[in-house]
Amino acid sequence: MKMNRRTMLASSAAAVSVLGTPALLKAAPKDYVIAASLPMTGPFATAGQLVSPIFKMIEVITNANGGIGGVPIRTTVDDSGYVPQNALANYQRSLATEENLVYYFGDSTGFMKLVAPELKGDNATLMGSTSFASELANPAENPYQYLSGPTYQDQFDILLQNIKAQGGTTVAFIYSNTEFGRDPLETGRKKAEELGIKVVLEEATKPQGADIPTHVTKLAQSGAEYCIMHGYVSSVWPQLIGGAKQFGLPTKFMGTFWGMEKLIADKVTAQAGPFLDGYSGVMPYRYFYDNADAPRYQAYAAFAKKAFAGTPLENYLPTWALEGLCSIEIALDAMRTTVEADKPLTADNLAEAVANIKDWDSGGFFGPKVSMNHNKMGVGRVYSYSTETKLFTPTSDWLTT
Amino acid sequence: MGQILQYVINGLMSGAIYALIGVGIVSVYKATKVVNFAHGYLIMFGAYFYYTFSVIVPGMEIMPDWLASWQPEWLLAWKAGLPMFSPMAAVADWIANLPRIGLGLVGAMVCNTLLGLLIERVLMRPLMGQSTFAMIMITVGMISILSGAASLIWSADADFVPHISPNAPIRFTLFGTTIFLFGADLVNMIIALLLFAAIVAMVRFTTSGVAIRATAEDQSTAYSMGISVPKVFSGAWALASLTGAIAGAILATRNGISPSLGLFGFSVLAIVLMGGLDSYGGVLIASLVIGVIEALTQWKLGGDWAEVVPYVAVLIVILIRPHGLFGQKEVERI
Repeated sequence: MKMNRRTMLASSAAAVSVLGTPALLKAAPKDYVIAASLPMTGPFATAGQLVSPIFKMIEVITNANGGIGGVPIRTTVDDSGYVPQNALANYQRSLATEENLVYYFGDSTGFMKLVAPELKGDNATLMGSTSFASELANPAENPYQYLSGPTYQDQFDILLQNIKAQGGTTVAFIYSNTEFGRDPLETGRKKAEELGIKVVLEEATKPQGADIPTHVTKLAQSGAEYCIMHGYVSSVWPQLIGGAKQFGLPTKFMGTFWGMEKLIADKVTAQAGPFLDGYSGVMPYRYFYDNADAPRYQAYAAFAKKAFAGTPLENYLPTWALEGLCSIEIALDAMRTTVEADKPLTADNLAEAVANIKDWDSGGFFGPKVSMNHNKMGVGRVYSYSTETKLFTPTSDWLTT
Repeated sequence: MGQILQYVINGLMSGAIYALIGVGIVSVYKATKVVNFAHGYLIMFGAYFYYTFSVIVPGMEIMPDWLASWQPEWLLAWKAGLPMFSPMAAVADWIANLPRIGLGLVGAMVCNTLLGLLIERVLMRPLMGQSTFAMIMITVGMISILSGAASLIWSADADFVPHISPNAPIRFTLFGTTIFLFGADLVNMIIALLLFAAIVAMVRFTTSGVAIRATAEDQSTAYSMGISVPKVFSGAWALASLTGAIAGAILATRNGISPSLGLFGFSVLAIVLMGGLDSYGGVLIASLVIGVIEALTQWKLGGDWAEVVPYVAVLIVILIRPHGLFGQKEVERI
C-alpha cells in the first residue's frame, strides 16, 4: 500500500486507539466499595450499632494512607435485622448498584451459608463475616469466604490445650442447642481424648431462657473440673456461672469468642455481682486496651478518641468490632498485594491473595505473625476476667492449631 | 432415687411457674371465651416493667443511692465478715436490693395491669358481641405489636434483674444423694402456688368470681341477671396481667431478660390445652406434670429432647381428650 499523508494519519490514529485501549481499560475506578450487612435492629442490634461506625473509621484511615494503589475506598452498611434472607437481599442490591464492589462483610453463619452457592462468576465477591463456623473454612467449597481468626473447633482445641497445660483431667461441654452451639463438639471430643481429658458431661441448653437450676445440678453431679460453654452471646453463660458459684462449685468456666466480650462481663458484674471473677476463655485478638506495640490499634484509638467522643467507642472497641476490623484489614492487604502484582481486583484474584497470606504482621490483632491456612487463622490466647480491674488479661501464650 | 427426686423437685419448681402463667390464660378464657395467644408477651412486658423499675429507674442520677443499693452500716458490717457466695452473703445481697425489688414488683404489677386494661378497653371491648374468632385473631396480632414495641422501648439486649427472694443455695442429702436447690426457686414456687390458690379461691368463693363463672356460662343471661359483663372482661384481663407481671418478674430472675421470654407463652398454652382451657385444677396438674417430664428428659436425654418430649405428651393427651384432662366438654344446644 502506498503511504501518503492521509493513510499515514489514519494509520497513526488507528495505532493510537489500539495501543491506548488497554490504558483506557485500566483506568482507575473512582473508588473501591466495601459493603456490609449488620444487625442494626433485632436481637443483636446493640452489637450491630457498635460495629457499624468502624467501617467509616477504616475508610478514613485507609484513604488518608493513599487508599488502595491510590484509589480511595468507600464503605456502606445495610441493616439485616439478623435475618440471613435480608442480608442476602442487601448483598444482591450492593452487587447490582456498586460497580466496584470488592469486599462484603456478612453478619452471620446463616448468611454466609445462604450466599455461598451464589458466589460464582460475576456474582462472586470476597467475603468475611462475624462467623467462626468451622464449615466456612473450606477453600474447596467456599473459595471466596474466609475467617479472620480460628474456627470454633480451633477455639475448643486451644481451650483444651490450656486445660491440659494446667493439669486438668475432666471437662464438661455446655452448649446451646443450635448449629452454632454444636459446631465444635465432635472435634472437641476427639481432642479431649487425644489429650487424655475426660469429657464428663455434654449438656445442651436453650440459647436463651435455659433452665439454669437443672443445668447447674447436672454440672454439679458431673464433678467436672473445667466447663467450656459455647454457642451463647449475652445470656445463659452468666446465669450458669452465677448459679454454679452460688452452689460453691469449684468448676472453672471457660468460653469462646462470643462469650468473651468485656462490655457484657462488665454489665453482668455491675448488675449481678462479682461472680465472673476468674472466668476465662479464648480470644483470637488482643483486647483493644492492650495496644503497646500494636500500631493499628494505636491508629484506631487516635481516631476513636476524636471521632467517637462521647460514645461507648471513644476509649474501647469491643471484640465484635475488632473481628470486623481484622477481616477488613485482611481484605485490604489482599487488595494491595493484587494491585502491586498489577492484577485487577476480581474476586478470584483477591481470594488467591487472601489464601496466600503468609507471616502477616497484623499490626496488633494477633500476637505473632500469622498465615492464612484453609481460609482461617488458627491462633488464639486464653484470657481471664477480673471483676476488680474489669479487664480480660492473658493467662497463656499464643496457641496455634 | 435421690437423683430422681432432685429432678422431680426441679421440675415441680418450673411447673409452678408454668401454672402461674397458665392461670392468666384460663382466667381470660373463662370470662371471655378468648384464647389469648399473646399472653406470653404480656408476661414479657411484666418482666420488662420489673427490669425498668428495679434496674433502670434506681440507676437514674436523680434517684437516691439507697434505692439502687441499700447499704446501712449494720449491713455493711455484717457483709464484711461473710465469705463471698456464701448463703448468708446471698441474703445480705438480697437485703441491699430490697428497695429496688419492692419498687420493681409494684411498678411491674401496676404498669402491666394498666396495659392489660388498655388492651381490653381498646382492642377487645369494641368486639364484644362479635365473633370470638375475631378477638382471638386480635390476640395473634398483638404478638407482633408487643414484641416489636418491647424491642423499640428496651432494645433486644439480654439483661439481668435482682432476685425476688434470697438466692441462697440449699444442699441436703437424700437417699445418699446430695440434692441442690436454689433458695430463690423454692420461694418462687411458693409464691406461684399461693397466688394460684388465691385466684382459684377468688373465682370460687367471691362475688366477682361468681360473675366470672356466670359470664363464662352465658353472657346474655349474665347481662339479664344484672352482671356487668364489660366489668367482668376488664377484671379478667387485669387479673391475667397482674399475675403475668409476677410470673414475668420470676422468669426474668431465672433466665435473664430478653424478648425470648414471650415464647414461654406458647409452651404454656400447650400445657393449658392439656389441662383444660377452663380448668384451674387441670392447668395446675398439667403444669407440674410437664415441668417434671421436662426436667427428667433433660436429665436422661439432654437438652435437645427436653424441648420435644413434654410436648409430645401434650399432643397425646389432646388427641385422646380434646378438651384436656379436666376441661368441660362443650354441649351445643340448638
